[in-house]
Amino acid sequence: MTSALLLAADPLYAQGVDLTALLITILKVVVAFAFLLVATMLMVWFERKLVSDMQNRIGPNRAGPWGILQTLADGTKLFFKEHINPIRAERRVYVLAPFLSFVPAFLLFCIVPVSGNWANGGDGTVELFGRTTYLQLADPPVGILFALAMSSIAVYGVMLAGWSSGSKYPLLGSVRASAQMVSYEAAMGLSVMAVVLVTGTVSTHGMVASQAGDGLFHVLPNWAVFTTLLVPFVIFVIAGTAELNRPPFDLVEAEQELVAGFNTEYSSIRFALFFLAEFMNTVTMSGIFVTLFLGGPSGPAPIGPAWLWGCIWFFLKTSAFLFMFVWFRATLPRFRYDQLMDLGWKLLIPLSLGWLLMLAAVQLSGQQNWNPVAVGAGVILMFLIGWSLLRSANAKARAVHLGEEVNA
Amino acid sequence: MSSYLPVLVLFVLAVAFGLLSLLVSITLSPKARSQAKEAPYECGIVPGREAPERFPVKFFLVAMIFIVFDIEIIFFFPWAVVFRELGGYGLAVIGIFAALVFESFVYLIGNGALEWGPRQRQRRAEIVSPDRTLTSTIRRVGAEGRPAALEPAALAPAAHHAPGHGDHGHGDHGAAA
Repeated sequence: MTSALLLAADPLYAQGVDLTALLITILKVVVAFAFLLVATMLMVWFERKLVSDMQNRIGPNRAGPWGILQTLADGTKLFFKEHINPIRAERRVYVLAPFLSFVPAFLLFCIVPVSGNWANGGDGTVELFGRTTYLQLADPPVGILFALAMSSIAVYGVMLAGWSSGSKYPLLGSVRASAQMVSYEAAMGLSVMAVVLVTGTVSTHGMVASQAGDGLFHVLPNWAVFTTLLVPFVIFVIAGTAELNRPPFDLVEAEQELVAGFNTEYSSIRFALFFLAEFMNTVTMSGIFVTLFLGGPSGPAPIGPAWLWGCIWFFLKTSAFLFMFVWFRATLPRFRYDQLMDLGWKLLIPLSLGWLLMLAAVQLSGQQNWNPVAVGAGVILMFLIGWSLLRSANAKARAVHLGEEVNA
Repeated sequence: MSSYLPVLVLFVLAVAFGLLSLLVSITLSPKARSQAKEAPYECGIVPGREAPERFPVKFFLVAMIFIVFDIEIIFFFPWAVVFRELGGYGLAVIGIFAALVFESFVYLIGNGALEWGPRQRQRRAEIVSPDRTLTSTIRRVGAEGRPAALEPAALAPAAHHAPGHGDHGHGDHGAAA
């Protein structure tokens, strides 16, 4: 336990903050900032190009080689567009909302370990200008809770944008968005907790540290996706996609019903900030998937510096998720709102809660030498009771619904 | 608190970036205000009403239920970090807590707090009354069976005709529903 607590602090600030530490911090932040902007730009291009490939189109191909500068061209264009202030808008909130959306998108990236010396039992630190530090911006004591907090603040951006526009489509879009994000946040929190359970820490650095190295039979890596037995990973990916309002959970911007959703009344650079936040969140969320379940930047480093291999592993793992997001968009039709709510509340939340208790029981039974048959029977009993209770509650709700229909 | 220093620096940088791009854009962009441009978006129709002030109560309900779960999760996190030290006692206690929250969750679902589905889906054959007839099922369109008041030609004598027709129509409707 104490070792986990000791891990949860960047050695850069071990002796307090002096000028060198401050300069290194600023350097790291500026590099991460630039990286995020470029990654977001490339992500937009990647999505458009990939979707067009999947739909047998060419996609952007004019700006730069393979149209790679398309996003830059679009962004520059938006600078020259008129700022429209809708007459019915709540002016101050209307201006504030894009900031509430994209500042948390930046801050979310703070806790993602991007690289580090993890190979051959390394502790993930690197030497930078004579100081030992992590290759991640911040490793606060609250760890992964910081990510949950930032994604909660992003809900305010969406909600206030829709509410302050003084128009009906943004309002409907934002109400939908808040209910959806809030619903999946509970499932997300519970599946994150499964990772906390097996790694024994909330610090993202500590999570990667405990996932580095060999796992089962020295064949599989010790990733949380295996140690939590897959289900929390699947739940987290589904909840993360819903949290990002990406297809198939993009009811927030269902064009047929809501024009463009919460940002309908936004124009020019204010719209660009929302757009930026959306894609930046996609990139960061992929990074968080990797950190939580796929061992972050840890991996073997055959030749060359270990931190470079960390970067490569992180990039490869993150790209896989970015590809997955685009693939979802190209493949899956949109959910209906009641299906979305049913999936989130009636399946994901009870399942992740049950899985969490099961994992805890299994882990403890190994440690305390409990009878495995009794533990197994208890777990099965718990799932059976939970499932049958939920089923009967659902049936009763249907009956009530039906009764209302008859009396109407 | 020093581990939050990068967060602070990034916060300042992000806000500065946003403000700067806003400033640049305001300087560079054209300004041609017009009433039509600043009206709420309504697919080209002149907006007649204010944006709805009210929306379905279901959304509020979801927010309230979420708070219950969020608090539950907050209680779970400390336990998840130290559950190995707490051992069987910790598991039993958190199990009881989870069971209590789950039980109230089941109660909520049972009362239809999370029923979003369209009503048509639950419509079953037995809702339709077995003693329905052709006249009770089909809603007539046109002058027949309507209050005579609707016919412009019969405006004057409509006063004493209308109630009878109205009652008749209502009865039909009641049988159908």
